[in-house]
Amino acid sequence: MKRNAIFFSILIILLLTAFFCDLFVGNAHISIRETWAALWGSSGDVIIDEIVRNYRMPKALTSILAGASLSVAGLLMQTLFRNPLAGPDVLGVSAGAGLGVAILTMLNGSFLYPVISSLGNMAQVIAAIAGAALTLLLILFVSSRINDSITILVLGMIFGYVASAAVIILQSFADPDSLKVFVTWTFGSTSNVTWSKMPIMAGIVIIGILSSFFLQKNLNSLLLGEHYASTVGLNIKSTRIVLITITALVTGTITAFTGPIAFVGVVIPHFARALFGTVNHRIVIPATLLSGSILMIICDIISQIPVSNRTLPINAVTALFGAPMIIWIVLKRKKL
Amino acid sequence: MNRLRIKNNAITLFFSIFVFLIIGCTGKQKSSNSSSEGQPHSSTTIKYAKGFRIEHFDGYTRLTILNPWNNSAPYQTYNLYKDHAEKNNLPSNEINLQIPLKSIVVNTFAYFDFLDRLGQLDKITGTTDGFRVYNPKILRRIAKDSIADLGDPFKINLEKTLVLQPNAILTSAYAQRDQYSERLVQAGIPVIYNLEWMENSPLARAEWIKMIAVFFDKEVEADSIFDQVEKRYLEVKDKVDGVEKKYSVMAGDNFQGTWYVPGGRSFNACLFRDANLDYYYEDDDNSGSIGLDIETILTQFGKADYWFGCTADSYEELNQKDPKYRLLKSVKGKHVFNNKNRVTSSGGNDFFESAIANPDLILSDLIKAVYPELLPQYHFTYIKPLKTDNAL
Repeated sequence: MKRNAIFFSILIILLLTAFFCDLFVGNAHISIRETWAALWGSSGDVIIDEIVRNYRMPKALTSILAGASLSVAGLLMQTLFRNPLAGPDVLGVSAGAGLGVAILTMLNGSFLYPVISSLGNMAQVIAAIAGAALTLLLILFVSSRINDSITILVLGMIFGYVASAAVIILQSFADPDSLKVFVTWTFGSTSNVTWSKMPIMAGIVIIGILSSFFLQKNLNSLLLGEHYASTVGLNIKSTRIVLITITALVTGTITAFTGPIAFVGVVIPHFARALFGTVNHRIVIPATLLSGSILMIICDIISQIPVSNRTLPINAVTALFGAPMIIWIVLKRKKL
Repeated sequence: MNRLRIKNNAITLFFSIFVFLIIGCTGKQKSSNSSSEGQPHSSTTIKYAKGFRIEHFDGYTRLTILNPWNNSAPYQTYNLYKDHAEKNNLPSNEINLQIPLKSIVVNTFAYFDFLDRLGQLDKITGTTDGFRVYNPKILRRIAKDSIADLGDPFKINLEKTLVLQPNAILTSAYAQRDQYSERLVQAGIPVIYNLEWMENSPLARAEWIKMIAVFFDKEVEADSIFDQVEKRYLEVKDKVDGVEKKYSVMAGDNFQGTWYVPGGRSFNACLFRDANLDYYYEDDDNSGSIGLDIETILTQFGKADYWFGCTADSYEELNQKDPKYRLLKSVKGKHVFNNKNRVTSSGGNDFFESAIANPDLILSDLIKAVYPELLPQYHFTYIKPLKTDNAL
């Protein structure tokens, strides 16, 4: 117990450190003192204030929320499907969000334009949420009919493939500029969430994460197998629907605001279980949440490093830099 | 019975999806406030371009960038004033800017030449993808750090842009308002949207010099520069006027299995018409490009005499890419041209930069290629014949 407390303290300290580092690092040369002043009052320079408060701050918060929620969503899916390779995207929700954005981007110059332009800068987010919600409805429809988790998992992946196929078809018809706009979206970005968008994203995501805390017992029962869980009085079907809804809401929302972010959701739950040496969700959920935020924020810092005047896409940084970190830890511990 | 229930559920599901989409689509409507407080006392004559309007009011000039995808509301309106006192009389929901601008970030290479001719190159403080620039003056300024390189044009580095604090940033507009431009707007940097690429004639594109000139109070200069360009273009066009139309043309190239050729209402199709060339899609009403497969290309363009816009450097390279190219009449007759006459080693190509401002030169290039006797003194500016060798 004491060991867990120490680990949690270390994770919290790491998270705070990484958070402040993320605020201090960027492409504009701003000293730590100026950043600090801009955070708590004013640095005396409106540009610095703007960069720190309205650019770096929401970006860092977005990273924390994305890392935390995608990791927890991945954990829920791994427990529900008892599959170590499951992640937040197995339900096809991210692919559905991608399809929404692809339709928006590729059909833009068409008859749909007046509708799209009336949505203003929320168009992309609304398209992604619509795509994700459609997939969620399909998955929920399937889960209400089928009483087998593995079948649902396979169907979820099939939905994902169908959505990806539709995206490829749209891309093949798209003009090069629309294609580039869409591809840029698939790079992922933590910097598109402005303060005006933050309440919507943070609201949905925090509700999702908090509700997973109330499901600890159900999740622990599921670890023993669905058959056993039902004998101890767990309503498998309703639990399944709740877990799927939380995962899809959280993943769909994050994907809508940041674009797809891979890797974190699959790997972090394993890391958290290994670090604390337990599968008990009372420990694993907060551990996953903290580790996911830390990894994501480190990736955000790395993605700011300019490589020949460009910054790296966050969706690539998560796997490219996250993988060596995780592999190093695994090698030290000899297992995950 | 069971099947009926599934059917009913399916109907409910689709109904709910439909409702969801409707809810999703009826978001806030952007107010199309035109705030017409009086009539303009004059407006600039725009002869060819359809994408913008310049009107002069007392104390300020209004530039309206029209929306090619939606006629009911403009894409963006700019109120440009010289005297700071005017600012308070202008509608606050439009972009109000004091001119002449003192600094600008240029995210569209096509405008370097416009700004150069207007004598405003020194106002450029930033650009994107510096390695892909052709204009030697811009390259020198980037090397000296007097122009900052702000990275990917589709994902412009926001922090660096904010530090530069340009008076405005010039960027290509697309049907979709991209997230990065939106981000700049929110950070308080005025975005000047250019849509010259939607125009479907070379002169209309070149006329956008008038649009950018307004921001530097150089309208008179822009008018006379454009008149010169127009005069030269029409002179070159006149040369082929009485000539019998006997050659046909093919355009574009194969990109990952799809061949993009210009639509009949596009800028390129207009050039072909003006150069007195037959083009398979000249009656088509597409203003963008049309994606075709190689079989269609062979049947529709197999007998075309000339091929412009090839991406290869030599006939040998063409043959290595795909021996099917040899079936084309233009390849057999060695009448293939690429757009790589003015390029830099790092990928800069003047065809994508100054050609917009020099329609007379692009037209001369085509005419020189097909009817060399009409322009004996002229040398190719942007296009180049493919290198010949013994491979074919």
